[in-house]
Amino acid sequence: MQLAYYPGCTIKVSAREHERAALAILRELGIALREMPEWNCCGVVHTLTGENLIRQMAPLRVLARLRQQGEREAVTLCDMCFNTLARANHLARTQPDQVSALNATSGGGLDYDGAGEVLHLLHLLRDRVGLAAIRKRVRRPLRDLVVYPYYGCKLLRPTGIGLDDPEMPTLLRDLMESLGATVVEGSLQTQCCGAYLAVDRAGLVTERVGATVEQARDAGAGAIVLSCPLCHFNFATLQPHAGAPLPVLYYTQAIGLAFGLDPAELGLDDRQMEALGRAVPSQALHDLAHARGGSA
Amino acid sequence: MSEPATLVTMELMGKEYRVPSGLTILAAIEYAGYKLVRGVGCRGGFCGACPTLYRREGSHRIFTALACQTLVEDGMCLVQMPFVPVPTKPYDLHGITPQPTTLLRFFPEIAGCVACNTCTRACPQGLPVMDYIQAALRGDIERVAMLSFDCIACGICSSRCPADIKHYAVGLLARRIYGKYLVPPSEDLAVRVSAIEAGRYDAELRKLMELPLADLRARYEQRNFETVAEQHRDHSATQRYNSPMDPVDYQDELEGV
Amino acid sequence: MELIDGYPASMRESIALVERTRPARLGRTFPAMSLEERKALLLGHHPDYQAGAKRPLRFGPSKGLLLNHELADLFEARPLVRPNLDLSTIDADVDLLVIGGGGAGTVAAIWAVQSGLDPARVLIATKLRHGDSNSTMAQGGIQAADRPEDSPVQHFLDVMGGGHFTNRPDLVRALVSDAPLIIQWHERLGVMYDKDSQGRFVENPGGGTSRNRMHSARDYTGLEIMRVLRDEARNLGIRVIEFSPAIELLGDESGRVAGAVLLNLETRRYYIVRAAATVLTTGGLGRVHIQRFPTTNHYGATGDGLVLAYRAGAELVDLDAVQYHPTGAAFPAQMAGLLITEKVRGLGAQPLNRLGEQFVFPLEPRDVEAAAFIRECGERGLGIPTPHGICGVWLDAPMVDLIHGPGTIRAALPAMYRMYTRFGIDMTRDPILVFPTLHYQNGGVAADEHGATRVPGLFVAGEVMGGIHGKNRLMGNSLLDFNVFGRRAGIAAAHYARAHRPGRLSLAHVAEYERMLREAGVETTRTAPRILPDYRGKEALERYLDVPV
Ligand SMILES: Cc1cc2nc3c(=O)[nH]c(=O)nc-3n(C[C@H](O)[C@H](O)[C@H](O)COP(=O)(O)OP(=O)(O)OC[C@H]3O[C@@H](n4cnc5c(N)ncnc54)[C@H](O)[C@@H]3O)c2cc1C
Ligand code: SF4
Ligand code: SF4
Ligand code: FES
Repeated sequence: MQLAYYPGCTIKVSAREHERAALAILRELGIALREMPEWNCCGVVHTLTGENLIRQMAPLRVLARLRQQGEREAVTLCDMCFNTLARANHLARTQPDQVSALNATSGGGLDYDGAGEVLHLLHLLRDRVGLAAIRKRVRRPLRDLVVYPYYGCKLLRPTGIGLDDPEMPTLLRDLMESLGATVVEGSLQTQCCGAYLAVDRAGLVTERVGATVEQARDAGAGAIVLSCPLCHFNFATLQPHAGAPLPVLYYTQAIGLAFGLDPAELGLDDRQMEALGRAVPSQALHDLAHARGGSA
Repeated sequence: MSEPATLVTMELMGKEYRVPSGLTILAAIEYAGYKLVRGVGCRGGFCGACPTLYRREGSHRIFTALACQTLVEDGMCLVQMPFVPVPTKPYDLHGITPQPTTLLRFFPEIAGCVACNTCTRACPQGLPVMDYIQAALRGDIERVAMLSFDCIACGICSSRCPADIKHYAVGLLARRIYGKYLVPPSEDLAVRVSAIEAGRYDAELRKLMELPLADLRARYEQRNFETVAEQHRDHSATQRYNSPMDPVDYQDELEGV
Repeated sequence: MELIDGYPASMRESIALVERTRPARLGRTFPAMSLEERKALLLGHHPDYQAGAKRPLRFGPSKGLLLNHELADLFEARPLVRPNLDLSTIDADVDLLVIGGGGAGTVAAIWAVQSGLDPARVLIATKLRHGDSNSTMAQGGIQAADRPEDSPVQHFLDVMGGGHFTNRPDLVRALVSDAPLIIQWHERLGVMYDKDSQGRFVENPGGGTSRNRMHSARDYTGLEIMRVLRDEARNLGIRVIEFSPAIELLGDESGRVAGAVLLNLETRRYYIVRAAATVLTTGGLGRVHIQRFPTTNHYGATGDGLVLAYRAGAELVDLDAVQYHPTGAAFPAQMAGLLITEKVRGLGAQPLNRLGEQFVFPLEPRDVEAAAFIRECGERGLGIPTPHGICGVWLDAPMVDLIHGPGTIRAALPAMYRMYTRFGIDMTRDPILVFPTLHYQNGGVAADEHGATRVPGLFVAGEVMGGIHGKNRLMGNSLLDFNVFGRRAGIAAAHYARAHRPGRLSLAHVAEYERMLREAGVETTRTAPRILPDYRGKEALERYLDVPV
């Protein structure tokens, strides 16, 4: 299977490892992603601002370009991009007059009829590949790894666009369980991590991240698994400093580990693998953590 | 004039002038009686000194152009932009380590790009300006360098951008980083520079300088010519282009006169 | 005016003739001239050999030098400032004044700072914006012998022969020996030269060179070098004052040059700069329109530096020979005078007259080719008139694709193709109209290999400097020369500035110059430097013509 791929800026600048892991596991699953030859920022920064049409320019341009490039569907890894694009797509379908107005005042090039489709990688894995196929490809089940799936907000909201039930999601749990991991859950899984407030109100983000990490630890988790690069950034850099931080994994990395791929290929360095190994006194994972060092 | 050109009417900074059709906007302004100091430079589309804003009859749009590269039209309503300020903080290129966030660090405002494409539509060089800003945003320095290469720094894009981005400065920094850090340095060049610094050619050059004119001329005439580079082989005529007869050995005429 | 695919009907008639003769012309080229024929043609029609076109300089250190009238007029002109101008208020007191913010000037300023001058005490004064210059317009490339099959020695031979051995050998030695150093400096500044993936330069042939040593940056070589230099100067904190040309050099009581009088073009106020050393880098003279020729040069190329330096006592060399390029664009008007690269003829496009006939071998030497075009349009009356009143001859561009296969023009001549397309002409289908254009100054102010003139405190570099190229410059050597001598002059001037303090400012040399004018019997109301050409009113049309409107 081949699909157009819309990476988004965050993936390229600060979440390269997520992309590497995604491309690696997809290769294993026989899916090739082709990066769109020319693309722009999804426009998330602006869609978070007040209601106006200008903010829809960037996401609509991505969708219009997708169609101009002869594609119908594009896959994205980033929750922010997915959310922004999917909402713009929704606008194009429900209020085409607004899109026409925007197109008319911006010199053409935004001519888009809502016929494109944005897929989150999780859509692809759940609905096209299927959890059964993923389970079949597992070589090193993540036995003894206790994970706390964290959804944040962009993956689930608003209803109609989100991938799963916004209050009681099961997507990441099902996925992790198909890798052989043990899943623990809690009420803060779907709470916003604080997102861009990290820029000017880092304290607030630290508070939220801290509460979530604590909940995960209390439930016995050895790692947090999530999807969004922004959540990842906040969890990885703004955890309160008491003790060793709880390791944070992209689900793509977890899948890759279960597939038995080289951690380096998944963008996991020795330090991260060691932390993971410490958190999980399991032989299987220990082996994994040292798979690279041992073979080198 | 061999034949009188038809006259068109242009409105320059609020005043109407009748000027011959077929002139560039620049020449039309001069024809109207202005001796330009600002708003003109190379007169050939290379320097970006002549950005012009205009409207046409029957359109609500603002159009942009280089005055030296665009014909005056009947009903044009125009003004020259002598200058678009794009000050940047000084940087030391030699102390930069290129990273995906480098351009963003020097020009944080690029994150404000709303992808409206106004810059691309306004660029008189026809460059994909929005795309190079977007490439800058995601740290793809090579792409910025390639897409922005033909930029003549006219500043039109920056004057039109709702996010107040300094496009050409972003492109320039990206190109310098690319040229300095991302392209390997030439080995042949380094070898030649050390040979020169070691004085390898001094003796021979001195010998040539001391040669009587007739002998020097003989050396010149005996030069052998490099065969034309591989990639030009199919263009037989370029071989001529690199031949001794073009374009300079007309000593005979010079001496005879 | 009604245009059919870019051309008016009157010109279309001639294009039809060109198309009719094309099949028969393919593979049949007009024979090259004998030396006798060349000589006769040059004497009869080349601007440099026109009887009465030149007159000798009547006074000063280069008395007797034969100059085109337009150039001689510059010297036989009154200064803009009175010798008794009040110099007691100094607006800027600096270590180094660089006059001219083109390539040479910017290089000089950068190297003066590299040699230890305080950037805040280095001032670049320029006529237009920093970088608006001939340097920005260069497309073709820059020479440097850096491949194993080439050497500075080979480069030396090419330069000397190209200049008919009239060049000053020590300057040529400096030029060719520094060339690779300059390219390496550029590499480190981040100039994006065309390279392959291993970092090897793409190096092309050029007219009169025996090795492929033309380094280029797409078709924007000069622009790329200039914008990087400008950025570097800015980042070093070098002061630049724009729209303020120098209109006279200043001396001091011991006969040294000690700064200049600038003119703020907007406020019309003088601005007095005192400087321990001065580097003059004002570029060329195309906008003087010698013999009324159009030019490839930028708007500010009016030869100001020549006048300033001569008044201060410097010597001039080789100014009797100016370079005309045979193929300047003649149509459409907005391209008039712009350079059409030699490569078009190199690839097989034949020059044709109004009847679609060949009349000259396409690759005669530049001056011979130019003279043949002039004869065809003038004496023979077989040129193609344009609606704007000038004449030109066809260059049968579509032949390039016929000879080398479709797509060659777009691949080998992309800039040309783009430029014509902008004005509605498809050069893969239609011929293009050309006429000789004034291109380069060749000679200039005499100086040694460090750019020092015979006047203490005055250095020169770039196109305003003479002697490097003798009577004829090869393509790709002037981008090189402004770097080589800009750097050398910058370093030498920095040393000089550290060793000398300027004394009391004086315009005595201007009084002296006026005395020489009087003694030579020059009576005129003309003033110089020219600063900017005047294209107002009918001049806007006239400048394209070789006859007054
Ligand atoms: C169209 C074109 C194509 C060319 N192509 C090539 C090529 O391919 N290869 C090559 O080697 N060479 C080429 N040349 C020649 C080359 O570009 C120039 O000779 C060279 O760049 C001159 O550099 P410069 O610094 O001396 O002068 P310039 O770059 O012209 O700079 C002179 C500066 O001085 C300023 N100035 C003038 N008068 C005053 C004053 N009174 N006071 C203060 N400032 C003043 C001007 O405004 C200008 O900024 C080309 C030239 C042209 C015009
Ligand atoms: S004009 Fe400004 S905001 Fe609009 S696309 Fe260009 S850079 Fe982005
Ligand atoms: S990118 Fe901007 S500054 Fe550069 S040429 Fe285009 S409009 Fe002018
Ligand atoms: S005057 Fe230089 S681009 Fe128009």
